[in-house]
Amino acid sequence: MKDPIDVAVERPREPRETPESYFVPATDVYETAEELTLVAEMPGVRPEGLTVTVEDNVLVIHGKPEGRDEPAGDLLLKEFEVGEFYRAFQLPADYDTEKIGAGIRQGVLTLRLPKSDRLKPRRIEVKVE
Amino acid sequence: MALIPWRGRTMPAATLSSLRDEMNDLLNRFWSNTNEPFGLAEWTPALDVSESDDAVLVHAEIPGIDPKEIEISVVGDTLTLRGEKKDETEQKGRNYHRVERRYGAFTRSLALPASVDPDKVEATARQGVLAIRLPKREEAKARRIEIKGA
Repeated sequence: MKDPIDVAVERPREPRETPESYFVPATDVYETAEELTLVAEMPGVRPEGLTVTVEDNVLVIHGKPEGRDEPAGDLLLKEFEVGEFYRAFQLPADYDTEKIGAGIRQGVLTLRLPKSDRLKPRRIEVKVE
Repeated sequence: MALIPWRGRTMPAATLSSLRDEMNDLLNRFWSNTNEPFGLAEWTPALDVSESDDAVLVHAEIPGIDPKEIEISVVGDTLTLRGEKKDETEQKGRNYHRVERRYGAFTRSLALPASVDPDKVEATARQGVLAIRLPKREEAKARRIEIKGA
């Protein structure tokens, strides 16, 4: 049997409504016994500009950065561009999507997905006869 | 007969130095790409720099860094940013599936295109984007020169 978490991170699926052009945010994904956590870098995105949706077990993060004061004058160096952030993840069915916690701070989005009881590790007692 | 423009004696040297500049630019661009998947280069913030008539404006992407921990200094015509991007959360018991964010201490220096007044530099950080405004000194500001008619 395939590890459901691997399915979650290895199969990002093309979503229904994709912005015309977007950046894929650098994301860390890790799992503890209790939950799955996604940490995505989306500099310039305020909570108001962020949408997190789950539909058919596809988790979609979409961030629109706030406009910044466009500098009047000549551009001398351009190492990054301002644009929307977008990424989709396929989730296994066993996450309680009602309980997803989301927070964005200093341009970093943290999503916590608590595991349903079925996914939590259980200690199996070994009986000594 | 085709005319061959005469560029003077400095031509070979000038061509070489511009070739060298181009190579340097190419290498710099290659190594400064923070999205490189391999971890050869330390993390440094990506910068946008622009210049208007009265100021130089620098934007830096610093997602997840406390702005208080960034040191900004102007010495002469050089702007230096110093800081560290760290992961301070508890790491125990974590099983990583994807590690794409990068961390590390950084120092970035930038030669400013104009002389600025270090006392008037303003920096604001919002949502992981740092904006630094460096007003130019009076003598460095662009001035329109009137042409007197005869």
